[in-house]
Amino acid sequence: MIRHAALFTGYELRKSFSNPVWPLFGLIQPVLYLLMFAPLLKTMTPGGTTVDALRMFTPAAMLMIAVFGALFSGFGLIADLRNGSLERHAVSPAWRPAIVLGRVAKDMVMLVLQAVLVLVVAFAMGVRIGVVELVLMLLLMAATGLFASSLSQGLALTVRDENGMSQTLNMFTLPLMLLAGLLVPIAFAPSWMRFLAPANPLYHAVEAGRALFHGRPADPSVPIAFGVFVALAALTTMWSMRALRKIAG
Amino acid sequence: MKEPIPQMIIQARGLRKTFTTRSRKGAQTVEAVRGVDLDVAEGEIFGVLGPNGAGKTTTIRMLATLIVPDAGTATIAGHDLLREPAAVRRALGYVSQAGGVEDTTSARAQVLMAAKVHGLADPKRATAEVLARFELTELADRPARTLSGGQKQRVAVAIGLVHNPPLLFLDEPTTGLDPQNRANLWERIRQLRESGTGVLLSTHYLDEADALCDRLVIVDHGVIVAEGTPAELKREVSGDVISLRVDEPERAAATLKPLARETRLDDDLLRVYVDDGERTLPVLLRALQEQRLGLTSIALDRSTLDDVFLAKTGRTLRDAGAAA
Ligand SMILES: Nc1ncnc2c1ncn2[C@@H]1O[C@H](COP(=O)(O)OP(=O)(O)OP(=O)(O)O)[C@@H](O)[C@H]1O
Ligand SMILES: [Mg+2]
Repeated sequence: MIRHAALFTGYELRKSFSNPVWPLFGLIQPVLYLLMFAPLLKTMTPGGTTVDALRMFTPAAMLMIAVFGALFSGFGLIADLRNGSLERHAVSPAWRPAIVLGRVAKDMVMLVLQAVLVLVVAFAMGVRIGVVELVLMLLLMAATGLFASSLSQGLALTVRDENGMSQTLNMFTLPLMLLAGLLVPIAFAPSWMRFLAPANPLYHAVEAGRALFHGRPADPSVPIAFGVFVALAALTTMWSMRALRKIAG
Repeated sequence: MKEPIPQMIIQARGLRKTFTTRSRKGAQTVEAVRGVDLDVAEGEIFGVLGPNGAGKTTTIRMLATLIVPDAGTATIAGHDLLREPAAVRRALGYVSQAGGVEDTTSARAQVLMAAKVHGLADPKRATAEVLARFELTELADRPARTLSGGQKQRVAVAIGLVHNPPLLFLDEPTTGLDPQNRANLWERIRQLRESGTGVLLSTHYLDEADALCDRLVIVDHGVIVAEGTPAELKREVSGDVISLRVDEPERAAATLKPLARETRLDDDLLRVYVDDGERTLPVLLRALQEQRLGLTSIALDRSTLDDVFLAKTGRTLRDAGAAA
């Protein structure tokens, strides 16, 4: 089982890197976020130094990558549904959940790579963060990515069509993004938004991320975020594995 | 392996599958497969011939453990389809109608992955061997999207064969290929006989079933309408078929009926089934002349599987395909 999961992870990773242009884009995108958004945000943050802005924005950028990078990975699965390779794997002796888990694991590896890159850039721009906070931040990002990636695989297997998939994702992403305070902290938002925000799981992750970047690992937002995302990730992972059963009896 | 080696690689009894689809017009049920029995011997090339929508893919998908039959049982390579799907999967190679080749990565990567998933001792070597066997070595490291249709189909079969399964499913392997590529693939499928690999092949091409299969079933609307070797099936219908275009087809049919085993009228094409075409032809022409029936064209052919299909279902395969 583990062997098959590892096999599929390696296969998917090699596939990603066999065409080096796409992963490169994926890696560079978050860096661009930092370079472009931080100066913009600087003018909006009280206090006003770049480092302050980055402390606000770096965790948000990392979580944004985790969610929005992984949410789109299901499109690959739809392509493989169409070309029949998914069905072929389902007829092989492979442990079936490995087919989905391999893709999710690939997304996680990519996320970690991206996260490291973002952190290096942030570091170069003057942001400092403790080891505990750093590890917690990476774990939080991993849980978020696990949730988003398996949600995406499950959606792909349920919707099975590129159009339906992008419609569904669009419907999700906008409120998810706005109500999380990714770009602008929710504290600046009107009260009805502040009221709604806690219903958005991503909001908790962003709050926790900001607490970590401000050196407050004991902040209550941290355990809340972990609780929410570990639970959600467990749910979506189970769901995506079940969804696979539909195509394969 | 202590188990006795089974003579039959597939034994299926009473397979059934009904699909229910919900649309705006309400729920719709399709009885895709309605009680199919199959007996495929080891190393045999066995055909499932039928028009679009006959239930070929559904049958193969059930046997490949992809969908659970509503009813029926099957034993594949000595393992029960429903109770031991994992053991069944180990014995299978499966090439779906879609092919199952990913565009984004190379043929080698995909074959190698299949070899590893099957736990082969030396996956690299097995991969190199099967690629060489299908003359893909030169193309193996390009992204599969750059391959031609025929090359891609060879990759699909190579992936299905890398672990040397005793049974290979080929779902319409040559659909969409040009005649040259078809002939090429046929040759490779025939070679599987030598390696003792059993093949279950679905097709809606008569010539393909005729040219490749040791035995076949003809399916229509989810049921088997005929079964046997291509020669047996054709003999069952009749030796030869004389096709005529005449001015008054109805009267001509009535005139020729006593001379034939069977006559069949399709629009203005009259088919006359006879045992010995060469001898019957002159007699038949004389009869037409005596009745002053004008003749536009005439052709004498050995009966084909299409005639078998026509005899069993009352439609030609081409019509059945167009109606589906
Ligand atoms: N998943 C499904 N849901 C609903 N109906 C289905 C499904 N799969 C197949 N069918 C229906 O079952 C019938 C048999 O389909 P099947 O794919 O087995 O035919 P086929 O013989 O393989 O045809 P073709 O030559 O076109 O590939 C068709 O009427 C088809 O519309
Ligand atoms: Mg089919």
